Amino acid sequence: MSTPKGGWELPISEGELSRLTSDLDQAHRDYLPRMHAAAAEHIEELRDTRPGEAGLPRLAGRSRRGFLLGTGGVVAAMALAACSSSTKNAVSAPASSAGSMSGSASASSGGTYTGDLQIVALATALENQAVGAYGAALAAAKAGKLGTVPPAVATFATTAMSQHADHAKAWNAILTGAGKPAITDVPLSNQPATLKALGAATSAGDVAKLALELENQAAQTYLYATYSVSSAGGISTAASIAPVEAMHAAILNFVLGQYPVPDDFLPVDKAASPSLLTV
Amino acid sequence: MGEDNLDTRWLAELTEQSQDLNSDALRITREALVEYGQQEPVRRWWQRGGAVAGLAGGAALLGMSRAAAASSDDIQALQTAASIENLAVSVYTTAAGLSFIKDGNKTVAAFITKTTQQHQAHAQAFNAAATQAGGKAQNSPDPKYDAVVKQKLPSIKTPADVVALAITLEDVAAQTYTKNVSQVSDAQLRKLFASVAPVEAQHRSVLLAVQALLAGNDASLIAIPTDVAKLPAAAGSVGFPDAFYPTSMASPITEGAVQ
Repeated sequence: MSTPKGGWELPISEGELSRLTSDLDQAHRDYLPRMHAAAAEHIEELRDTRPGEAGLPRLAGRSRRGFLLGTGGVVAAMALAACSSSTKNAVSAPASSAGSMSGSASASSGGTYTGDLQIVALATALENQAVGAYGAALAAAKAGKLGTVPPAVATFATTAMSQHADHAKAWNAILTGAGKPAITDVPLSNQPATLKALGAATSAGDVAKLALELENQAAQTYLYATYSVSSAGGISTAASIAPVEAMHAAILNFVLGQYPVPDDFLPVDKAASPSLLTV
Repeated sequence: MGEDNLDTRWLAELTEQSQDLNSDALRITREALVEYGQQEPVRRWWQRGGAVAGLAGGAALLGMSRAAAASSDDIQALQTAASIENLAVSVYTTAAGLSFIKDGNKTVAAFITKTTQQHQAHAQAFNAAATQAGGKAQNSPDPKYDAVVKQKLPSIKTPADVVALAITLEDVAAQTYTKNVSQVSDAQLRKLFASVAPVEAQHRSVLLAVQALLAGNDASLIAIPTDVAKLPAAAGSVGFPDAFYPTSMASPITEGAVQ
């Protein structure tokens, strides 16, 4: 290696440096949407943990996300779905059955969602619907209304519900970051039918079939969102959640005795329409 | 370029440009939170004709004249994706011929057959998109993971070994495509990557469950239909370990690009 013009011998070829620079640029561009989403979530967390503003005690240095992911996650997530008041009360609300899940709007300020935010609002409502459905199913199982529930099914419902609660928080972070109200219940026109189906379930299999419909609907809605919204944060959030819902669906298919990966490419024929939104 | 050396002044200029870009990006990101709520409404998806119902794998992409919209980065991403698919096809094909797979659990063997076909379909879709965008088809395996596979193949002695290797490949594929969704330059390519990533994630989910059942000496439960009542509790959650699909293991878009 000869001495360059600047007198400094660089222990790397120009080609290697170019590739590294390209990778750095790529990593940088990849990071931006995540930073965007994280910043939005941080704003929400600051609002949630600000003493006095919402009548909530500060969570001892832990964010509400951390709280949801912790030991209180299941109860908090169920409460999140069941509560029909504002986000500010969701964490401290008691766990509730499906009967308290309304199809009405929860947006405290009556704000509307347009453009990308309409799809984000739909996604949030779908996640709340899933959280509520799993919570109701677990409550029904505990009450003995579903017969003998296999341990794997109970574990599935608990874990999937927790993940859907995380997804709802991610979507809500985008809404609140944009100055829109969070959605904490299920403002969907199909919610009454979902509740009716849940109420009619008499076995774990019945619940699994309903859950599969919800998971497929969510995964396909987010697939649609990836190429229909223009916001980088919305695209990356949809892209990172759709595979998880699809994984839920795969396990549900297995539990139901069906092939777990039925499609070569995820379709969108079961994607939810924003016309389902009632806000 | 070879071993050409660099002018340090040029390197300093590049670093300064990088810093400027970073500063601009940070400013844009700060503004993005506000801008998010001020964007023009997009057309509702039920108003978009065949865009909703028209997705049938890569076929939907092939029917669209989008070559002009794709960038060289897009083509590289598509070629890298094809290379990952080519490797997956190769690995599953090899696995299908192993005696302990061929003569082993019928459900595992059927899964391998079906999954191979799905990866072939993905490779075709990625290559079709690459060529339509003006690039070359990638018919070789991803070089990084091909080396990993070649290193591991001699030590593969059991179905669990095959499953472990397949989990790695499926995860890399799913992570790469999840990341690609945010990297490519137009909506049709986002659609393609976003429609494949969940399928690879489902492959991984099934394999994680199979891995757990094999580890628990519950191979008899690897069946469709299975005896759900006998499944261990952990089988209900082992298949989806992350609430958000990670991308830390995603391959760079250049990794499997045609040279």
